[in-house]
Amino acid sequence: MTGPVDARRSIFARLYHGETNIQFVSRLRRWAMLSGLVIVLGLVSLYFRGLNLGIDFEGGVVWEVPAGDVSVADAQDAMESEGLQGLTVQSLTSEGTTRLRVEAEPLERARDAEAISQELADLTGADVNDVSLNSVGPSWGEEISRKALRALIFFLIAITVYISLRFEFKMAVPTLVALVHDVLITIGVYSIAGFEVTPATVIALLTILGFSIYDGIVVFDKVDENTKLVGTSHNLTYGGMVNLSLNQVLMRSLNTSITALLPVASLLVLGSFVLGATTLEEFALALLIGLFAGAYSSIFIASPLLAVLKEREPRYRDLKAKLAARQGPVVAPLAPDLDDELAEASAARARPVTPGAAAPLSGRPIPPRPRKKGKRR
Amino acid sequence: MRRKKLTPLVLIVVAAAAALTGALVTDTSPQLGLDLQGGVSVVLQPTKQADDEALSQTISIIRNRVDALGVAEPDIARQGRSIVVQLPGVKNQQRALELVGDTAELRFRPVMSSIPGSIEDLLSSTTTTGPGETTTTVAGDTTTTAATDVTGQSAVGQATPFQDPTTTTTAAGDPTTTTTAPVGEPSTGFELTPREDDVADQPVVLAERDADGKVVSTYQLGPSAATGQIVSTAAPELDPSGQWQVRLEIKGGSSIDAFNAIAAECFSGSPTCPSKQLAIVLDSEVISAPTIQQPSFERDKIQISGSFTESEAKDLALVLRYGSLPVNLEPQTVQTVSPTLGEDSLRAGLAAGLLGLALVCLYMIVYYRALGLVVVLGLGVWASLNYAIISKLGVALTLSGVTGIVVSVGVTVDSYVVYFERLKDELRAGRTLRSSTERSFARAFRTILAADISSFIGAALLFWLTVGPVRGFAFFLGLSTILDVVVAWFFTRPMVGLLSRNRFFTNARWFGVARGLDAPRTAAVAPAGGAR
Repeated sequence: MTGPVDARRSIFARLYHGETNIQFVSRLRRWAMLSGLVIVLGLVSLYFRGLNLGIDFEGGVVWEVPAGDVSVADAQDAMESEGLQGLTVQSLTSEGTTRLRVEAEPLERARDAEAISQELADLTGADVNDVSLNSVGPSWGEEISRKALRALIFFLIAITVYISLRFEFKMAVPTLVALVHDVLITIGVYSIAGFEVTPATVIALLTILGFSIYDGIVVFDKVDENTKLVGTSHNLTYGGMVNLSLNQVLMRSLNTSITALLPVASLLVLGSFVLGATTLEEFALALLIGLFAGAYSSIFIASPLLAVLKEREPRYRDLKAKLAARQGPVVAPLAPDLDDELAEASAARARPVTPGAAAPLSGRPIPPRPRKKGKRR
Repeated sequence: MRRKKLTPLVLIVVAAAAALTGALVTDTSPQLGLDLQGGVSVVLQPTKQADDEALSQTISIIRNRVDALGVAEPDIARQGRSIVVQLPGVKNQQRALELVGDTAELRFRPVMSSIPGSIEDLLSSTTTTGPGETTTTVAGDTTTTAATDVTGQSAVGQATPFQDPTTTTTAAGDPTTTTTAPVGEPSTGFELTPREDDVADQPVVLAERDADGKVVSTYQLGPSAATGQIVSTAAPELDPSGQWQVRLEIKGGSSIDAFNAIAAECFSGSPTCPSKQLAIVLDSEVISAPTIQQPSFERDKIQISGSFTESEAKDLALVLRYGSLPVNLEPQTVQTVSPTLGEDSLRAGLAAGLLGLALVCLYMIVYYRALGLVVVLGLGVWASLNYAIISKLGVALTLSGVTGIVVSVGVTVDSYVVYFERLKDELRAGRTLRSSTERSFARAFRTILAADISSFIGAALLFWLTVGPVRGFAFFLGLSTILDVVVAWFFTRPMVGLLSRNRFFTNARWFGVARGLDAPRTAAVAPAGGAR
């Protein structure tokens, strides 16, 4: 992976050496359309199909019992004779044991659920304490959702305040946009795929929000640091600087996403598919989708949006015009996405900025500085 | 200089090792939530509007019942208007469900006879004393105890402004009351009635307990004469002599008639109430058994006196008020998880977590070489501290908590990635590894702190504002975030500094830091020992 410095390298090698020059900022429209498409598809599906809400939101009762020799049909008959409404009976198999899962609409009296537990235990010959029961009244889900929503609103306000204090308000706006983006995409995928929404999903969704903000802040911190590079001396517009910062943190973002995805993926694959713990599946699925969306949005949505917002400030608008007048458009002249002619490893280190070269868009955050003598650490 | 930098490293490694060994030696492991060990979880809501006071009374009633079940770590908490009852590991789930949601009723029952302590106490004291002396010792013992007990007990009298406080005391301390207890033959009829057999119109045997749950007295009680519904209100007050007592007000009409009917029976010591005491019973527990001092009462001039402390008087008033408006509970959600299902989830979660962790470590080592080792060791420190803290705090670890931890692995590893990528930048800019470590760390730490603070804000808000599983998740996420900052400062920084000084780790051909950071060879090779 780390050969000697070549003139031309594969995209992975360039990523690894921090030499990419992908035009994130100037192609915001492209990324926005891509995201917009997914979001619209999701919203359409949400409107027509809605979400597959679990019993925790709609109310209902679920029993799970070791199946013994009882077939799904037998259980279905037995439960129908109990007069349960909206009945579905499934069998779940994990590690060689089969369990029956009986789902029904909320019962008139919550206490009847316990009687049915006994009934099921008698039917399958299991001990009544081996019957898992989950009964939720119809109003409970409403309360959970309301509380989660309230927490979410406070969370958004607090994050906005925090980012405004730590960085600036204009950085809070793209963060929130990216956040809404991630949530919409996750909900959309859930609606399209018809995955069941459970409290676990809500938790996963909140995690995604946290992660999305976390990711965004790491990128913005770099942008914040690089702001001093903006100006005529470095031939860099704000947008150009954001783009530079993104390329600099790209490997970080990829590594972080990979390390975050590895445990979640193992949760999904090993935890739920191999070992059959369905609750883990509920968590991991939403997390997986959301982490992808979060990694994508912090790079492709939040940062370019920040550049667009900032370049509306007179200061940066004037700078952009000035630089454009001097030498044509600054940020996007590099026709292929990955033109690294100017991003060679040694270029920025060795040479001072040559006028006429489009821009020092290499991944060097630190301007070369003569080494001090006698510096000890 | 060098030693100073190593102090935090040594400190945190020792702390982590000590915490982990401490947890392992004392055998404190994280307490498992009910979705991981099986159990019952019920969310109850009052059917009618209930005030704070009544709700907390309800919770203490439920707690009493649950204690009787012998659940190791019951969690009964109020969240908004709801009462959340979590009984992890409860053996008899059906029974637990029945118990928890039952409405508690306040009953007034005439006392037939009573003994101090429980029947077991009495019998054991009999057997321990020599056979010849048995009767006298027990009798003597009992009388004294009972006598003081009765003095300590309460009486119901008419509230009059000029009432002589001694009247009450005398009446209550009347030894004739005590002698009605069948001291001679203690074993007859003093076995406590099981809770499910406590029916209003049947005679029962119930106990009065102190705050620690120790039985103070055991009573044979007649059928219930009235329920708490007759109570209008009750309040603690000070009598003219500065003694705490409770003022009881009964509703008018049939309520006061019913009360006076039983008062008359008790006052006269009729066979239905030979002890002259009327027990106030809430949820199968005798709260107080005052002696009736008058044949009839005016409905708003009743007082219960005795040598109450302020809090005893308040508690008694509370029980009476609760009895007037008992809280009916309706289960909103009921969840029972069978132990086997919980075990399966736990195993799957652990296996998946470990596999994920192993993959992350592998990836880090392949990518960062020697620095990857720092990540692995750092995760070790982080995990030990996390484990020890979770065990110590005794917060129930639920499936959502496990997810929070798994997710925070990602956040933690990111801190290393931020730092290492920073180092990479510095090296590419031509600095040596040795001179870059501190600079890079200072800058990277700013980033880590900014990002972790935002994570922590989220976790804290979720913890305060939500219910149930979301809270568990938020707690573990927040804890891991704090530990991440601690480990970065105390472990990663000195550790990388240490590595950067070691020729083997910096320059080894396949494993060296330089290799892992993609540094130009010349730049990273610190003149070995030369600069110092």
